[in-house]
Amino acid sequence: MRDVEHDEILGRAFDRRLVGRLTRIARPHHRLIAAAGVLFPLIAAFELVQPFLVKIAIDDHILRADWAGLTGVAALFLAALAVLAILRAVESYLMNLTGQRVMHDLRATIFRHLLRLDAAFYDRYAVGRLMTRVLNDVEAVNEAFTSGLFAVIGDIVTLVAVVGAMLWLDWRLALVTFSLVPVLAAVAAWFRVRARDAYREVRRRLARVNAFLQESIQGMAVIQLFAREAHEHRAFRRLNADYRRMLFRSTIWEASLYASVEALGSAALAVLLWYGARQIAAEALTFGTLVAFIQYTTRFFLPIRDLGAKYTVMQAAMASAERIFELLDVVPAVQAPPATSRPAPTSAAAVEFSSVWFAYEDERWVLRDCRFAVQRGEHVAIVGATGEGKTTCARLLNRFYDVARGRVLIEGMDVREWDLAALRRHVGIIFQDTVLFTGSVESNLQLGLDGRVTRPDLDRAIDAAHCRRLVETLPRGLGEELLERGANLSHGQRQLLAIARALVYNPAVLVLDEATSSVDPESEALIRRALARLVEGRTTITIAHRLSTVQSADRILVLHRGRVHEEGRHADLLRAGGLYARLWEISARTQQG
Amino acid sequence: MAPAGLGPAARALSRYLSRYRARYALGIACLLTATASSLAIPWTVQRAIEALEADTVGAAIGRYVGLVLLLAATNGIARLGSRFSIMGGAQRIEHDLRNDLYAALQRFPPAEIARRTTGDLMTRATSDAGAVRSLVGFGAISFIGTIAAFVGALTAMVSVDPWLTLWAMAPYPILIVIAKRANARIHAETDAAQHQLGVLSSTVQEHLAGMSVVRAYTMEEHAARVFDAANGEYLGRSLRLARTMAAFVPLTGVITGVGALIVLWLGGREVIAGRLSLGALVAFNGYLAYLAWPTLALGWTLALLRRGLTSMARVQEIIDGAPPREATTDGETAPGSATAPRIGFQNLTFAYDDRGPALRDVTFEIRPGETVAVVGPTGSGKSTLGALLARLWEPPPGAVLLDGRDVRTLPLRALRGTMGYVPQEAFLFSRSVSDNVSLEREALDAARVRDAAVASGVAEEIEGFPRGWQTVVGERGLTLSGGQRQRVALARALAGNPSLIVLDDVFASVDAAKEDEILRQLRPRLAGRTVLLMTHRLHAAQAADRIVVLVDGRVVQQGTHDELLRADGAYAQLWRIQQLEEEIAGA
Repeated sequence: MRDVEHDEILGRAFDRRLVGRLTRIARPHHRLIAAAGVLFPLIAAFELVQPFLVKIAIDDHILRADWAGLTGVAALFLAALAVLAILRAVESYLMNLTGQRVMHDLRATIFRHLLRLDAAFYDRYAVGRLMTRVLNDVEAVNEAFTSGLFAVIGDIVTLVAVVGAMLWLDWRLALVTFSLVPVLAAVAAWFRVRARDAYREVRRRLARVNAFLQESIQGMAVIQLFAREAHEHRAFRRLNADYRRMLFRSTIWEASLYASVEALGSAALAVLLWYGARQIAAEALTFGTLVAFIQYTTRFFLPIRDLGAKYTVMQAAMASAERIFELLDVVPAVQAPPATSRPAPTSAAAVEFSSVWFAYEDERWVLRDCRFAVQRGEHVAIVGATGEGKTTCARLLNRFYDVARGRVLIEGMDVREWDLAALRRHVGIIFQDTVLFTGSVESNLQLGLDGRVTRPDLDRAIDAAHCRRLVETLPRGLGEELLERGANLSHGQRQLLAIARALVYNPAVLVLDEATSSVDPESEALIRRALARLVEGRTTITIAHRLSTVQSADRILVLHRGRVHEEGRHADLLRAGGLYARLWEISARTQQG
Repeated sequence: MAPAGLGPAARALSRYLSRYRARYALGIACLLTATASSLAIPWTVQRAIEALEADTVGAAIGRYVGLVLLLAATNGIARLGSRFSIMGGAQRIEHDLRNDLYAALQRFPPAEIARRTTGDLMTRATSDAGAVRSLVGFGAISFIGTIAAFVGALTAMVSVDPWLTLWAMAPYPILIVIAKRANARIHAETDAAQHQLGVLSSTVQEHLAGMSVVRAYTMEEHAARVFDAANGEYLGRSLRLARTMAAFVPLTGVITGVGALIVLWLGGREVIAGRLSLGALVAFNGYLAYLAWPTLALGWTLALLRRGLTSMARVQEIIDGAPPREATTDGETAPGSATAPRIGFQNLTFAYDDRGPALRDVTFEIRPGETVAVVGPTGSGKSTLGALLARLWEPPPGAVLLDGRDVRTLPLRALRGTMGYVPQEAFLFSRSVSDNVSLEREALDAARVRDAAVASGVAEEIEGFPRGWQTVVGERGLTLSGGQRQRVALARALAGNPSLIVLDDVFASVDAAKEDEILRQLRPRLAGRTVLLMTHRLHAAQAADRIVVLVDGRVVQQGTHDELLRADGAYAQLWRIQQLEEEIAGA
């Protein structure tokens, strides 16, 4: 819907800059394109052979009662048909091959680019819109190649060939036929412009109908509660009728275009007949040539008529290309530094937030001068009310976002100096909502490491995460195929797999964004034990949404108003009677229900 | 032609078609005229050439030229007429269908609409309605045109030479056999490619939606490989389809060409033998050429018809599935009861379709003019109470009463006219703020709109906007904050001067201080009205005449704020939690 309203449907048909970029994308396939280029004139030539053979048949054989010769011409005719069919088959395949390969490459380019873009980008763009770029817009660009550019070239080649053949056969008759071309071109252009304008208006009104409809569907409760059904229906009927009227107008222009071109074609025939008859009478023209001309005329009129339609295809394709390139031009906000260095072995803290300021938009600070450090092997829990920036801390650690001010240091080195992949190998995150991918359980456990994990390592992780029983209950064990988002597993099973995945990944620093939704008590106990194994001896930061699990942490940081407000061990914080004590009481009372 | 299961759709469609009988009759007449005049052109050419053959010098060729021009004009006009009538009719049918669909949507309970998703309903109203238009528009023209072309051209050809007609048509059975086989293969391969496109699309969707994991686990390379595999497979399947198309499509051209070849060769022999005139041969070729296009387009036409019927079935499913329209009294706003009503919930147990009960055995009463607050944690069933009272969901018989009458027996208009309902999610239309408050109800003038907005505490902010009351809400208009939207929705409810007010957790998106302020301003407005206030914030409930505590769909406590605090039950527990939360927020 948004796309209908906001993305311009028709742009310029030809934009040098865009065409230049498209050409570069098509360059790897230049041999295919060249081959298609050779085929066009060949096909055009063979299309002209048939009417010419008809002329020969009539003039040289039928009118001279030469049955044997006619059979020879018929054989030639058959051969021409066969060659034309083969040429057409090759051309059709070549065109598709080129188009499909270009689309394949373009999709891959866009997808790889999307993989490089940062979290802030994904906050701005809905997944649905990006899908449109990868799938629909690429398809529209393909249309530009096959139905647009190639077809236009094909048509022009055909036109030139027909004109040439007609002039060669009989230049006077040809000129008589061409006399109607300016009329045809003018009529076609006149109607085409009107049809296009009407069509544009049709799209606009359809967008209005759709927007109204969508809003009605979403706000139906309000319409019903205030008994506005009749009133809204009247408004809808007005828009709907408006759309229908404009659609009919576009039909009028479109139909007039086709009808007038057809009528002009017949008029050309009448002119041919009139002039031809006089020439035949003067013995300046043969019957065969006249018949051949009648056939050439139709081949001549159709491309001129369809040129406009192809123009519209090109316009739509250019608008799509523009959107694709706009996306490809987005520069990732988070990038690996040009020269990567590894942290020197130091005694620095494993993780340090040094006066960190961060906001998702403008100056609405989520973290303000946030400072803390986590020592190697330490387990720290971050707690705080909803919206205090706990999860944000995790996102800054592995550079989903970059800080606005201050520094985040891992092993004493600013995360912005780390090689991005190395940083993310070093800091592992377990997310609140467990994302699993289509594919086998095994490939889900290996993720980015596939192939590099040995079977014993995998087995150890599965055992440590208490996943053994889960894996054994699956009919195909580790080879079991998961559905999209792991839909064929329970919530608890997915969490266990996510823990096993983190164990396989084996990061030096683990960030655990605790799941907020609860699972059944049995899974809960399993998950808790699996987590204990995961945390053991590892630098760990737990983002705690429920306080029941943080008591075992070495240290608890209470985040409030974007900075660390209190810190200490569970018992000390309780005794202090500050924010933590209050949070703890809420948590205890909520659980009592 | 209609596959099993599409019969009802075809019947429903014929009802729409019969509305435009006259248009379609005219359209078909024009189409037949156009076909006849098209076919008459080769016939005229035949006569002209025959005249030339007979007497090259003295032939009165002008007559034939004039006739061709006349036929061309007739053809053009008739073709225009057929397009205008039939396409116009089709556009009217699409228009009517969409109107009926909209009317049906208005009769669905909102929850049912939510279950079906906006996207699905939009698809039915747009692309499905469009497919029906193609069926009764282009599809109809093409289908009727094809039949007319075959009947007309074959008749003309037989009249020239029956034997030659037989020979010329000889390749057509082969064409039909090949087309059938090709179509089956193309169909299967298209399905395979489409299926792989679906796989590719969900691969992209999955990785884009799970991008945080992709990044965190540095699985970009892996994701790219998975994508490449799907992308490559799609390329392979598309090319397999392209190969089949490349092999078969030119073949159809060859076969129609062979028809022309046979006519030239055997027809030529007839001319040599003097049994056929050259003009007749040329005309014959013209008739045959006329058949080429409808033949090639036949598969496409049939696909269009099939797709249109399937879409019709999808649209009809919504129209037929809507609850029947309630017999309503005329008039824009049915006057609700002028005095504050009495509300009763009587042993109300209610479950949404497939889930456990949302409300269990709920019984309580709201006396006329009383304010009762229903409190409880998220998911305790508060909103369900309001939805049942407004009959957004149908309550069980005898369980929800207004002035002692089962709400199910009240006309919807009267029931909803009585109440001002403010839902949890404030929905605003992309119209002016003023229209959003008034909803263009006739009785509401600018003064009453403003008055309601003042009572909701939003008037000043609205008047502070550059375009004031004419500010358009929405993407390109001004974005209102959550709190502002809520208060506009509140003003909308108050503006109708209802005697019953239902507030469903209205103040969730404003802070406690703002909430207190709004409630203070609101209190005089609520005097003398029956108020059902559902809230998870106990502060808002404090001043109510009575508070009902709902936990897991059951009434666990009832009483005034002070009574409930003293009772030290669920309410006292919630109260303490919220106090702690306020302390934290204030720290």
